Amino acid sequence: MKEQNSIPVTKVQRAGKFISTGAKIGGNYIKHYSKKLFDPSMTRATLDEDNAGDIYDSLSTLKGSALKVAQMLSMDKNVLPAAYQKKFTMAQYSAPPLSYPLVVKSFKKFFGKAPEEIFDTFTRNAVNAASMGQVHQATKGDKTFAVKIQYPGIAESVSSDLRMVRPMATRLLRINPRDLEQYIGEVESKLLEETDYALELERSIAISKACGHIQHLVFPNYYPEYSGDKILTMDWIKGQHLKEFLLTNPTQEVRNRIGQVLWDFYDYQVHTLKLVHADPHPGNFIVTPSQELGIIDFGCVKEIPEDFYQAYFKLLNADILKTPDHLEALFYELDFVSDKDNASEKKLFMEVFTRMIQLLGRPFNVDQFDFGDDTYFKTIFQTGEQVSAMKEFRNSRTARGPRHALYINRTYFGLYNILNELKAVVQTRR
Amino acid sequence: MEKTGKKTTKKSVPLFDKIKTAYIDHVLTHGKEPASVFLFAKNNKMKEDDFYEHFSSFESLNKGIWKSFFDEVITRLQAETIYSDYSAREKLLAFYFTWIEVLKSNRSYVRWSIEQSKRPETNPKNLSSFKKAFLQYVEDLLNEGKETEEVLNRPVISDRYKDGIWIQTLFILNFWLRDESSSFEKTDAIIEKLVNLAFELMGKSPLDSMVDLAKFLYQNR
Repeated sequence: MKEQNSIPVTKVQRAGKFISTGAKIGGNYIKHYSKKLFDPSMTRATLDEDNAGDIYDSLSTLKGSALKVAQMLSMDKNVLPAAYQKKFTMAQYSAPPLSYPLVVKSFKKFFGKAPEEIFDTFTRNAVNAASMGQVHQATKGDKTFAVKIQYPGIAESVSSDLRMVRPMATRLLRINPRDLEQYIGEVESKLLEETDYALELERSIAISKACGHIQHLVFPNYYPEYSGDKILTMDWIKGQHLKEFLLTNPTQEVRNRIGQVLWDFYDYQVHTLKLVHADPHPGNFIVTPSQELGIIDFGCVKEIPEDFYQAYFKLLNADILKTPDHLEALFYELDFVSDKDNASEKKLFMEVFTRMIQLLGRPFNVDQFDFGDDTYFKTIFQTGEQVSAMKEFRNSRTARGPRHALYINRTYFGLYNILNELKAVVQTRR
Repeated sequence: MEKTGKKTTKKSVPLFDKIKTAYIDHVLTHGKEPASVFLFAKNNKMKEDDFYEHFSSFESLNKGIWKSFFDEVITRLQAETIYSDYSAREKLLAFYFTWIEVLKSNRSYVRWSIEQSKRPETNPKNLSSFKKAFLQYVEDLLNEGKETEEVLNRPVISDRYKDGIWIQTLFILNFWLRDESSSFEKTDAIIEKLVNLAFELMGKSPLDSMVDLAKFLYQNR
């Protein structure tokens, strides 16, 4: 991959990822605001519905990685209308399942045996979709397993699919292609990792072990002897997916507990392991009958480089805002502003980023934070909206923000979102 | 025409295999057929009669080799306990996957053999015995599918289903020969897609409702 010397980022423009952060967090509000939101961006980008519809149609026939990229891009509300975001998400689940004979073939290739010869029982049909594959349930003796099998040819198609996404992304994002390249490059490398089940096995085992001490957290055991390049076997975790769990109307106490476990899990990964499960999607968490949190699917893991970590998390510390000099240096370091900006641009971007940081960092700067507080999310969303409507932002063709921030932001957006859905009150500093 | 490799009695199986192996070895080493059956027999220390007992010519030998691929697939499928539980769609999928596995061990020969044809996409040489056996297999499969209603009986068209499947088979073969993905994963993917499409077309589809509606409207104008 090419060397990354500037920023990735997104969207319709400029304020890069931070703004989109706001957008994503405001996900719950997208429905209310999408109309208002898209009006300005549509006239601007001449992004009409037909256009987006065509793009969606061509992408959805690809199913695999292009779809994932589309999903990533669409996390940013300004990239695609909310209606399409929804379609993208759903399309992922409508990828046609692998036929059983092909499952048998994969098994024979890796283990020389059919699934029935290895396990006592093995479901003929997939019980779930997984990242780039599907999950079957199997039993042997008194154990129940989840067996994940990858779609054939997915790994090979990642790069070629991304080539197809590039022109569309350039058009939608109105970002210069060189900047986009870095963004896509980061996504591409992560997607390729996701197709590597051997790596996933290794990371799953490592992270589960490292986080094993966190209370109320449950990890499945992984079984290297039943795993290969395209097959991954782990314990079947009994319980409900987060969404189902929420439908059961859990008490505030239970919500807080689950939210706290989730927060602690991420806190430990980010600050201690510097290795983070970067796909906090509700489907990747299971609440067990004893109300503990089960973590599945380590397909997407982001390693956090130390220098990036130092700079980035300094930003979230409220004290930094009191020392403008440090802040400015930090903004330079993280590529939010550069020497290419003139004085007024610099001033403007600094102001905006400072505002976003204050807002987004709020949970980090109090001891206890109520993620059920919808006004907080609404403020973020509105700020993001205001910023993205500013013409200085829309007209700047440079992307801003470090490439590593992409997945870190995605992680936090996802986490905030889940915590908001849980309506959990979390001890964020302890 | 079915006098080729078919009548392999127990005793003569090793001889058939010996001829087959020696012949494949020759064409792959020299890039062409032996000059004559006589020379071929002599070089492989067998009697010319032995050859003619099984095959009338190199052409019939080629056909016999392709047919032996088919027999091998059926043997392997029947060895799988689960195979008999499969639906017609799954059986066809399993057939193709296994077939490609069998061909994989003979890829160079398959390529050579197909390259001998003037029109490999539509009418490859040497496949006639294979085709006959395969179509018989497909017909049984389709009948089974009709019983389970996976395959719909339609006037006129249902008799052509197997021709469609044959075209699909040739397409898979040619796709596989051009496939450069690791362990031919793309061929696996194309097999899935083609078979799914084929069974969706042969099964109950929106098209039937459309035809039905059109017919109704026409009759009730």
